[in-house]
This record gives sequence, structure tokens and C-alpha cells, in this order.
Amino acid sequence: MIDIVGLKKSFGHNEVLKGINIHVEKGEIISILGPSGSGKTTLLRCLNYLESPDEGEIIIDDVSINARKVNKKEVYQLRKKSAMVFQGYNLFQHKTALQNVMEGLVVVQKKSVSEAKEKALKVLQKVGLENKIDAYPSQLSGGQQQRVGIARALALNPEVILFDEPTSALDPELVGEVLAVIAKIAREGKTMIIVTHEMNFAREISNRIIFMDGGVVVEEGIPQQIFTEQKEERTKQFLKRMTPELDYSI
Amino acid sequence: MVIDFSFVWIAFKEILKAVPLTLILTFVPIVVGFLIGLAVALIRAHNIKFLSPIANFYVSFFRGTPAIMHIMVIYFGFPILLDYVIKKFNLPFQSNHVPIVVFVITALSLTAGSYLSEIIRSGISSVSKGQIEAAYTIGMNTFQVVKRIILPQALAQSVPNITNLIIGFLHTTSIAFLVSQKEITGAANIVASKNLKFLEAFIAAGIIYWAITLIIETIAYFLEKKAKSYSRSAF
Repeated sequence: MIDIVGLKKSFGHNEVLKGINIHVEKGEIISILGPSGSGKTTLLRCLNYLESPDEGEIIIDDVSINARKVNKKEVYQLRKKSAMVFQGYNLFQHKTALQNVMEGLVVVQKKSVSEAKEKALKVLQKVGLENKIDAYPSQLSGGQQQRVGIARALALNPEVILFDEPTSALDPELVGEVLAVIAKIAREGKTMIIVTHEMNFAREISNRIIFMDGGVVVEEGIPQQIFTEQKEERTKQFLKRMTPELDYSI
Repeated sequence: MVIDFSFVWIAFKEILKAVPLTLILTFVPIVVGFLIGLAVALIRAHNIKFLSPIANFYVSFFRGTPAIMHIMVIYFGFPILLDYVIKKFNLPFQSNHVPIVVFVITALSLTAGSYLSEIIRSGISSVSKGQIEAAYTIGMNTFQVVKRIILPQALAQSVPNITNLIIGFLHTTSIAFLVSQKEITGAANIVASKNLKFLEAFIAAGIIYWAITLIIETIAYFLEKKAKSYSRSAF
């Protein structure tokens, strides 16, 4: 359903993506792991053209884009196929939780206000915020804001939801509630691509894990394989750093 | 020297008649200038080809020169331009049919536009880049992003600065007296010279300016509270 073919992206002289090939089936949950600077966030941002790749193809559902000859209309079409959950939530500050979720339904999908409201309420209930619908983002905790962000993405019913480090900006005690909501959506069969540093979460939730480093896909496979029997040295090193075995001896 | 308080009252009543013109000279330029400023701010924010350098020049020139100069240049220069156009197209019209107040309003609108464009621009840059990205990812086009996400927040953010500008402009209208407009300062001058009681007349004028300013501030206070109701930082 999603095909990424030969995707390349440079910032100046710095080549961040060096030809990425990834295929994702409908309903798959993919976690992308890798050290900072490995290009995983850039890859995710290329999928909805928040960054324009220099070369390669992106195919989501029936929209296909070639980076070399792309036009504005194709970009808008591509964006309608996905929705993104951001590290910094990025909620519309002047709109309530309910309005944040309704915005895309009314403005982009041209649904009637009553229909949009009904849908938005349903989704907000799913993320456990039915009693915060009239709160502005500034009145919500980080975890609540991120759950509104997830609701905003989910309401659009996109082909795929892109998660860009959804828990990295949260206080540790708020991480759990957000991960629980993501896991709940995952169980419903939504296609998801998740960039994350939460190793245990990635291991539990994903169908497949992609390990990136230095702008290339180093290794991919089912969580079991990536976490216990890595083929590549770089994967092994990274996971060792991320899941240290603590030594409590004095 | 003794202050003639009874004359302050006489002058006060006389000068009060000039208040409507003063308000017109304040608010018409602010409204027209707001539209100019909005257009200029958006042109500059999106760095639109050809228009952007013109907008930059406009803002730089009009902020870099005093309002009195704008009034004088347009008051003396505009009729020449107008006469030239009238002659060229044989229009049944003369430049001296245009009321002077139109020149003053034109000049002050251009002044206000340059200041308002900077106020709106700083409002626009206060909207986080992340929100704009989020708006694009839910499928909005640029026009929708500007209209629904950027401008509502940019304008709410601009209310205190616009209030300051309005108060400044109320006081700036006093220079329209130089092209014989009978606004508050003009009226004060006239009533003062007739009776040779300058101090009393200007005390009265001062009270009127102050009173109008207080009214503007009060309205702005409530407007500001309403505009920023979504933000916790508004008290």
C-alpha cells in the first residue's frame, strides 16, 4: 500500500537520506528506530512533503509522486492520504480540543459541522478526553495535548498515521497514557509508521522494525529478530546503548 | 498670571465640536491602514516576487519619515499629479474640488499602513511553525492555513500594539491643523487666539484628548481579554 523507492534528501552538502526503499502493507505497524541524525524524522516528513525529497518515489494508496517532477496538486493529494502526530503536539492554540479535531473534517473534507462534531466527539472519546472537549491546548497537560493530536489525526481516517517521536517531549509520568492510546489504535488495524525512542513499546506494538543509521536502512525485521538476533553490528551497538543492562552491584 | 477656569469650560465646549473630525482623522486611516498593512505583511511574509521589494520600500520609507511630511507631500504633491491626469484625459473635474481632509486621510492611511504592517508581521511570526506544518499535514492549502490558523492568532496577538498605534494616531491628528483642519488642536488654537487665553484652551484640549484615550484604552482592555481568551498568559 505504501511504497518508498530510492528516496534521497540532502540539506546543503549533508545527505540525510541516501536512497531509502521501504514497503508497507495495509494494517502494518512499523517502528523506525535509529540514533539521532540517522534521518528517520526526515524520512517521515518526506512522506507528507513537509520536506521535499530530491529524488525517488513515494506511493501511498492511489497517489504516486516522483520527487523530480512533482506539482502542488499532487502534494495536496499525498497529504490527504496521511496524518501526522508531532513531537511538539502542534495543536492549533486558538481552537478548543473539539475544534482542533473538527478543523480538518470541516475545512478539508468538507463535512457538515454537525457530522464533523459527531465524528470528533467519537474520536475524542476514544482517546479518553470526552470531558476536555472545550479546553484550549494551553489548559491541557502534555499527555492530554498529544492525545488531542492523535485524535486530530485519527478523525481524518487517513490511510496511514505518521508518528514523529510522539512521547519525546512528555514528562515521564505522562508517556504511558499516550502509548496506551497509540496501542489501542494499533489494535484496530490502522496502518502506522512510528519514529520512536521507546524501545519496549516498539517491540510490543510493531509488526516490523526498521533500523536506520546514516541515512540508510541498516536492518529490518520482526521485533523478535531485531531485538534478540541482530545481523548487523550497528544495530547491536545501538540497542545495547538504548537498553542498558544496569549493574546494581556496589 | 491666573488661570481663568470659567474660560476652560467655555473652550472645552467649543473644542468638543472638533471631536468628530478628530475621530474621523484617527479611525479612517487606521481602518484603511489595516487593510494596507495586512496586504503588505502577507506579501513580505510570503516573500512574493516583485511585490516584496516594493512593500519593503514602502514600509522603510513611511516608517522612516514623520507623518507631518506625508501630509505635506500629499497635500502639495497630489493636486499636481491629479491635475496632470485630469488634463491628459480631459476629465470634467478640478483638483481643488477635492476636500483637503481627503488628502490628510490619504496621507495618514499610508502612515498607518506602514506601522500596521510591522505590527501584523510580528503577530504572524508569533504563530509557531509547528502549527502551520500541522495545518498542512491535515490537507489544508496555503490560503486556508493563512485564513484559519495564522491570521486569527496573529491578529489576537496584535491587539495591544494596535491599541498603542490608535492612541498615538489620535495625538498625531493634531498636525492636521497645519493644513487648516479644525480638529481638536486646531479648534483649541482658534478659540485661544480669539480670546487670547492659550493656557486655558490647551488645558481644555488636553482634557478631551485624555478622555478619548481613556475610552480607547477601556475598549481595548476588553477586546484584548476576549481576543486572547485561548491563552493562559492573558490576565
